[in-house]
Amino acid sequence: MSAATIDRSAPPVDEANRVTRDAPWIFRTYAGHSSPRASNALYRANLDKGQTGLSIAFDLPTQCGYSSDAPIARPEVGKVGVPINTLDDFHLLFDGIPLERMNTSMTINGTAMWLLALYVALARERGVPEAALKGTTQNDIVKEYLARGTYIFPPEHSLRLVAETYEYCVDRLPDWNPSNICSYHLQEAGASPVQEVAFTLANAVGLLDLLKSRGKINDAQFARCVGRISFFVNAGIRFVEEMCKMRAFGALWDQVTRERYGIAEAKYRMFRYGVQVNSLGLTEAQPENNAWRILLEALGVTLSKNARCRALQLPTWNEAMSLPRPWAQQWSLRLQQILAYETDLLEYPDLFDGSPVVLAKTQTIVDGANAELARVLELGGVRAAIDSGYMKSALVQSMSARMARIGTGEQIVVGVNKWTEGLASPLVGGDDGGVFKNDPAAADDARAALAATIARRDPARVKAALDALVDAAKSGANLMEPSIECALARVSTGEWAGALRKVFGEYRATTGVDGASLSLDPARTAKLRERVAAFEAAHGRRPRLIVGKPGLDGHSNGAEVIAVAARHAGFDVVYAGIRLAPDEIAASAVEEDADLVGISVLSGSHVELTRELMEALGKAGAADMPVVVGGIIPKADHAVLAALGVRRVFTPSDYQLVEVMEKIMDVIDGSAAA
Amino acid sequence: MTAGWHVSVTWPEVAQAARAHQRRAVAKLVTQFEDPRPAAAAVRREVIAALDADGARLGRVIGLTGAPGAGKSSLVGALATAIVADGGSLAVVAVDPSSPVSGGAFLGDRTRVRFPPDEPRLYFRSQPSRGALGGLAPSTFQVCRLLARLYDTVIVETVGVGQSEIEVAAIADATFLVIAPHGGDEVQFMKAGIMEIPDGFVLSKDDLGAGAERAHAQLRAALRLSGVGPRPIFRTSAQRGAGITELAQVWAAISPGGLTAREPAQFARWVADEHGRAAAARLNAAGGAAAYLAAHGGFDAAQLAFAGA
Repeated sequence: MSAATIDRSAPPVDEANRVTRDAPWIFRTYAGHSSPRASNALYRANLDKGQTGLSIAFDLPTQCGYSSDAPIARPEVGKVGVPINTLDDFHLLFDGIPLERMNTSMTINGTAMWLLALYVALARERGVPEAALKGTTQNDIVKEYLARGTYIFPPEHSLRLVAETYEYCVDRLPDWNPSNICSYHLQEAGASPVQEVAFTLANAVGLLDLLKSRGKINDAQFARCVGRISFFVNAGIRFVEEMCKMRAFGALWDQVTRERYGIAEAKYRMFRYGVQVNSLGLTEAQPENNAWRILLEALGVTLSKNARCRALQLPTWNEAMSLPRPWAQQWSLRLQQILAYETDLLEYPDLFDGSPVVLAKTQTIVDGANAELARVLELGGVRAAIDSGYMKSALVQSMSARMARIGTGEQIVVGVNKWTEGLASPLVGGDDGGVFKNDPAAADDARAALAATIARRDPARVKAALDALVDAAKSGANLMEPSIECALARVSTGEWAGALRKVFGEYRATTGVDGASLSLDPARTAKLRERVAAFEAAHGRRPRLIVGKPGLDGHSNGAEVIAVAARHAGFDVVYAGIRLAPDEIAASAVEEDADLVGISVLSGSHVELTRELMEALGKAGAADMPVVVGGIIPKADHAVLAALGVRRVFTPSDYQLVEVMEKIMDVIDGSAAA
Repeated sequence: MTAGWHVSVTWPEVAQAARAHQRRAVAKLVTQFEDPRPAAAAVRREVIAALDADGARLGRVIGLTGAPGAGKSSLVGALATAIVADGGSLAVVAVDPSSPVSGGAFLGDRTRVRFPPDEPRLYFRSQPSRGALGGLAPSTFQVCRLLARLYDTVIVETVGVGQSEIEVAAIADATFLVIAPHGGDEVQFMKAGIMEIPDGFVLSKDDLGAGAERAHAQLRAALRLSGVGPRPIFRTSAQRGAGITELAQVWAAISPGGLTAREPAQFARWVADEHGRAAAARLNAAGGAAAYLAAHGGFDAAQLAFAGA
């Protein structure tokens, strides 16, 4: 089909045919931690170092719509990002940073409308015109249901919030990207390039169809909304294929916007995207190798001028071990600067136009994605695919297959399943072991600041603002303006989300584990199944496992793969899903008379959450029930967890699923014998 | 006999703790009632005797079945809240299929139902089907014998749409089929010829507007066409909380205690499943299941005797 050929309007060179340098992409670092004040200092330092945009990481309570003083929020405050409770926090966070000259990207989804409302409110109080605001709210709720888990409300209500941010921004914040359609998390969840492209475009089509069907904007406004849709993409280690994937994305988006929506203006059909290169492939073993992986992954999204990213953020070499330190972030920023300013990359037109290899590879992805996109749309589009679990199951299946390939050595990961011998890295020396430690006092500061704001604010204005929000939620009026008034009145994040929870309800997504299967080393699996059979003969039942994720962290891939592998080994598995209070997991474990409880924590809150789980088990008279913990857990914390009674800790270096299951069976057998 | 996981506790003591709804005690007893080995039958006999001596009365057992995604979990969660608010107690047994390849299973989880974790009058237990057909696990009836002595109401939740998946009706005092508006389930049920089995129908997710109206009309038409007499249809919305109180009231009026009357049939089934056709013939020759139970002093003693014979 002609629509899918690779032809972009950007001229390869300028008219005089001079060697000119292109402007570089925006350099960002995904950052934020502890408190608004600490994060502000970090942002200002990063901007001084030559970073050209902000990428704000929020903590999980803020992402899930809880204030810092909520019980479920307690262990997570300030861990994976900055806690934002009220507009006062935003004043601190952006202190000394001119909004009108900043391009601000916020990784926020379930509460995206709220954080955008806070940003607009901040501009109003500072006297900055709204139209001058530039940036992005991630606001892609679909991938939260599929992979990341920070949704709050049922899909139809969440999607309404997304649509209303577009309808608000289209005239008032013309340079704001109300949402970023994310393919990032799909790759992280195991998607193949074809799945990644197809599911992402299905997601975008779902959003645009929704905007059209709501009928709140006219055709000209709709065209501008299409022009504001940007994408957030992952770049993996197979960087040639990744570059072709980006070219395929561009071609397909041009096709979809033209054919499905009749967008005439070429500039509104441009595939605009930002990138965070892949964290999934980063290894805990020989972590210094990750520096090279990050470099190569950055090439995939910068080499080809016609498919180059608009903004780039790089992870840090030690991300599989802990949250990044400022020095590690600086090192990643320097990579971008060297690539953009020292090399000659930006002096040339597209290097790959006319390459038959690139053309063929791109066409393969285009064709595969077109077919898969058609399939998803035929199934009723992205909404139906969430409800039915079709996409989620496909992703869990892909992820399990990837883990199995690494386990068998079919897929080589240097330092992990090949060339594992190496000298000790001096980078992980030093008194902090090369990892970032949160300030435990930060959470207290956040709660104290919230209490101070609540003491200062006008309760009548707060009540009126929340009432107006609830009325609009019920009547179907746009929620942006009532949310901005809430922000100005110093309503808290938990109050805003809580009011809407009462109207919309809360949502629990499908887990995707049903029907997933995988193949592991057959000989070892057979042996493991024999041990399971021996246990059954001795105890009158199969070993029973509870797998769940306590706390607010929704990155469920690891827990899901473990659940699938455990059933594969012949265990009976209760997969309790995400966002559970530790006492809910304990109650499940006790009622099911479980032989082992496995929890997965990636947010850095493993010590607090494990302690709460152990206390809950003890209170229920089940202190003897064995517990194992998996996640991104620094070496130094292994002893801490052991002291709490944890029998075994699994980290990303335990990539052999069958071995993980053997070790779990060891714990169960040891515990049953005791 | 001591209770395994804790050397100083006897089974009657565990039974007493379970009467007080101590969850770990209930869970440990359920494990004994799931255990197919003869030694467990001896424990069960001891536990049932202790519970009955303590004055335990049999609660009602309600079967709840329907296709995956029909809204059973949300319904159970809403009903649990209503039952507890009304001063009652509730246990849920959820049966999920085992993998035919590995034998392992993904089990339903109480958090899916959103029970409050600290409410002792609610108990949730999942069971792998272990290859048994009919939507029940081999031990489901046994576990009901225990839980019905500890809770006012026991819900047995099974998954399925076909004839074979509705065996729950054989152990429940009343059985309800849950249907979601968009599933087209009613047509399937009619084809499968099981419209006559449930005592009532629950049309869930009654917040989907016109779809719910259409489903209601179709269900009534299906009932008429299949020649089944009038059956109650409850329209519920777990999200809006609609219809839940009404259904809970109907359930509260179902008379409990039918479990004992079903013991002979379930014993005969156990004999056939565990010991085969020849053993079933032997049971018949010995005067049938009811006579055998009477002669040996109850279900567990009869199991012990039959396994030893």
